[in-house]
Amino acid sequence: MAHRSTHATLCRRGFLKASAGLSFVVGAGGLLSVDAQAAGSEMLKVNPWMTIRADGKISIIFPSTEMGQSSYSTLPQILAEELDADWGDVVIEQLNEDDRTFGNPAFGGVLYTAGSTGVEGYFDPMRKAGAQARDVLLQIAAREIGVDKKTLMTAPSAVVTQDGTRISYGDLAAAGAEGIQIPGADDVPLKPVDAFRIIGHDIPRRDVPAKSTGKAVYAIDVTLPDMAYACIQRAPVEGERPVAVQDDEARAMPGVLDIVALPDAVAVVAETYWSALLARGTLDITWSETSPFRAHGSEATMALYAAEAESPSETPAVWAKKGDASAAISGADTRLTQTYLSDYAYHAQIEPMAAVAHVDADGKGAEVWAGTQTQSWTTNTVMDVLETTRDRVRLNMMTMGGGFGRRTAFVQDYVRDALLCSKSVGRPVKVIWTREDDVKNGVFRPLAVQRMSGGVSTDGMLQGFHHRVATPTVIGFFNPGRWNAVKPNDVISMRGAESKFYSIPDFLADHVITERQARLSPYRGIGAAYTGFAAEAFMDELAEAAGRDPLDFRLDLVEDNLRGRHLLGKVAEMSDWRNRGDRAMGLAFAGYHSSMAAGVVEIALDRNSGEISLKHIWVAADAGLIVSPDNAHNQIEGAAVFGISCALTERIDIEAGEVVQNNYWDYEITRAHQVPPIDVYMAQVNAHPTGVGELGLPFVPPAIANAFHALTGKRLRHMPFTPDRVLEVLNS
Amino acid sequence: MTKFTLNGQPVEVDNPPEELLLLVIRDGVGLKGTKYGCGAAMCGACTVHVNGEASFACQLTVGDVEGATVTTIEGLSSDGTHPLQKAWIDEQVPQCGYCQSGQIMRAAALLSEISNPSRAEIVDYMSANLCRCGTYNRIFKAVERAAREV
Ligand code: FES
Ligand code: FES
Repeated sequence: MAHRSTHATLCRRGFLKASAGLSFVVGAGGLLSVDAQAAGSEMLKVNPWMTIRADGKISIIFPSTEMGQSSYSTLPQILAEELDADWGDVVIEQLNEDDRTFGNPAFGGVLYTAGSTGVEGYFDPMRKAGAQARDVLLQIAAREIGVDKKTLMTAPSAVVTQDGTRISYGDLAAAGAEGIQIPGADDVPLKPVDAFRIIGHDIPRRDVPAKSTGKAVYAIDVTLPDMAYACIQRAPVEGERPVAVQDDEARAMPGVLDIVALPDAVAVVAETYWSALLARGTLDITWSETSPFRAHGSEATMALYAAEAESPSETPAVWAKKGDASAAISGADTRLTQTYLSDYAYHAQIEPMAAVAHVDADGKGAEVWAGTQTQSWTTNTVMDVLETTRDRVRLNMMTMGGGFGRRTAFVQDYVRDALLCSKSVGRPVKVIWTREDDVKNGVFRPLAVQRMSGGVSTDGMLQGFHHRVATPTVIGFFNPGRWNAVKPNDVISMRGAESKFYSIPDFLADHVITERQARLSPYRGIGAAYTGFAAEAFMDELAEAAGRDPLDFRLDLVEDNLRGRHLLGKVAEMSDWRNRGDRAMGLAFAGYHSSMAAGVVEIALDRNSGEISLKHIWVAADAGLIVSPDNAHNQIEGAAVFGISCALTERIDIEAGEVVQNNYWDYEITRAHQVPPIDVYMAQVNAHPTGVGELGLPFVPPAIANAFHALTGKRLRHMPFTPDRVLEVLNS
Repeated sequence: MTKFTLNGQPVEVDNPPEELLLLVIRDGVGLKGTKYGCGAAMCGACTVHVNGEASFACQLTVGDVEGATVTTIEGLSSDGTHPLQKAWIDEQVPQCGYCQSGQIMRAAALLSEISNPSRAEIVDYMSANLCRCGTYNRIFKAVERAAREV
């Protein structure tokens, strides 16, 4: 057939063996260069981000890290689409170094996987890179066959001539790139959406088979020859350090190799984790008692932030502003002010912190295996701890047993611990935090007090909205350098408070930046996990004050947001909102960044125990163009499930600087029997993709609070809505 | 010395009999599919079968399984084609995947007890295992799919 004869012709003409493949160096702005790799010789460039080998295998680098969100599959799919690759030919390669050539455009080029930004940030550069590479392959084919490039087309992994002859990408790669011009990133046409074969189609995730057979390897699973294990006793309170350690008994125990003093902890290094655990139990450590954090407890923190919300001691930082909210509210016919509270919350990812480090004999370099959300900051951690240079850091970015913001810090203490232990014993060391270690030394979503004010007119219209958030800066703690660049705007603390999906002419969101009294971190949904609660529960209070149906009141506010309006209409239809009768249903319209979700929940309440349960969740979402629809559904469902326990049970308390909770028995997350049917609708829109990882969470807590009001006439204003709080509200 | 049968093979380990079965399976024998999540019978990431019953490997010592038959995710099928594993792939269940060995092992114990469980039975049985990524509804569907195919 045509294919075979062309192949034979190509071979006869003798160029097939010219090279072993092509490597494309792709930067955030597109393709930078293309190199033929001479057969049997070294790569010409050190950074071959995309390689097409003579055997047809196409390697695409995955620049983010995988924690369940599936960008390991979706990001390479974007490039493969424009390359017109056969997805079956694609091999995905994890980027294991801090090479900013392909940094996340959404984070100023830092390699950082967070905030649902992967697809949003990499969509354009990866499409363009794929299209440029496709153009190069067309040029090679034109050169080889001696026809005009314009007469050629591509089919999956092949260039096709007008007479239907196919030349595989592998053969073209083997022919070499001599005389080829790399087109500019903006000069190559991109596929129209209706020509997509990969984007928008349900291509199975690459990582699912290994994750269904126990074969996926996480940091906690890494094993090296001669590896030792470490168990760490960390200071009970932030800011304390060990001043004296009685470790005679531990040192005498079988298998114990060393007791290592860390800046804020003591590590037991042993032949097995079991020995390390047992020996840790015998340590008698005297801790310093000078930390100011010993004075902090979450109840007092709540009172402090509430006082600050009411009368800030410093001028609040304006987060979003339109018109004059305070004038509009004071001129309104009915004025309303309410305070919303939310406690600290913990990530509860099922894989606790774990890392393996193997420090070089000279102590100035290391190989590290860790699951983190950033190659850049993990590299920095190693450089800082070993006081070394970038070239001495060898990373292995492991797939993570959940992230949710837990693994984003600028300095990663679990990586640091593994490095210091390995350096001390001269062997590779695996550090594993027990679940209790992970809870007690957690970094938390901040406690927040939100003071909401708004007005409504006699004709039932919203008149001014003021959303004040009293909470610390999260960025200032987990990445101080970044805070210097962005302050006073803290997107982690404030996201969601901008209520950007509504048109509210007189609007103000401001941030009272309070004193930090615990370790903080981004958490799934970042600020929107609590600002969405306050904004949308208060919106229901305003609707009630206006005497309007919560849906109609909101529809007035989305007249300029047609896509949002569509979602509200859709979720009303899915849940049969207009005919809800006395069913306990609540509506909320929230989202994340530019992705929107309108959700309705139906709840049941046990009035004796105060327990709320979910009967159904309906959600209509719009995240722009969806690369992997099936995964988008899975993400939205998963975030909604996360939202249930965020609303109902998740609460960290601090007393005298120590975390009170221990494990999943006193930090409860959603279990199977608490999950209702979840109906997800995704709007089909041809707009830039905006991310799906956190979108399903923010609407859940306010929708539950609003459903509770529909059932009982009472308002829940303190999240989580634990049974004791529910009973207190019921009896009020 | 503790002797037991692991995934159909006789094994002998010289770990102290009071050492956790979970650690012996993972670090002693080197089978990493069984996970540590809580060490407290709260998450189910460590679920294995002991004499056919779903058990938390973090709640047993290796001495407890002397003479017993233990099965881990690696022993569920020789090539990853157990109906539950196929159903897990067909339904695209896993996200981070960390809980899924435990979920599949618990589901396998359920199906060997009740070959055609109702949704309520599935939900009830699977409530011992946590999934922080929230894949529960897909887990239910995958168990139902596997039950149809067994
Ligand atoms: S590790 Fe055994 S139940 Fe969690
Ligand atoms: S898939 Fe992540 S915990 Fe279940």
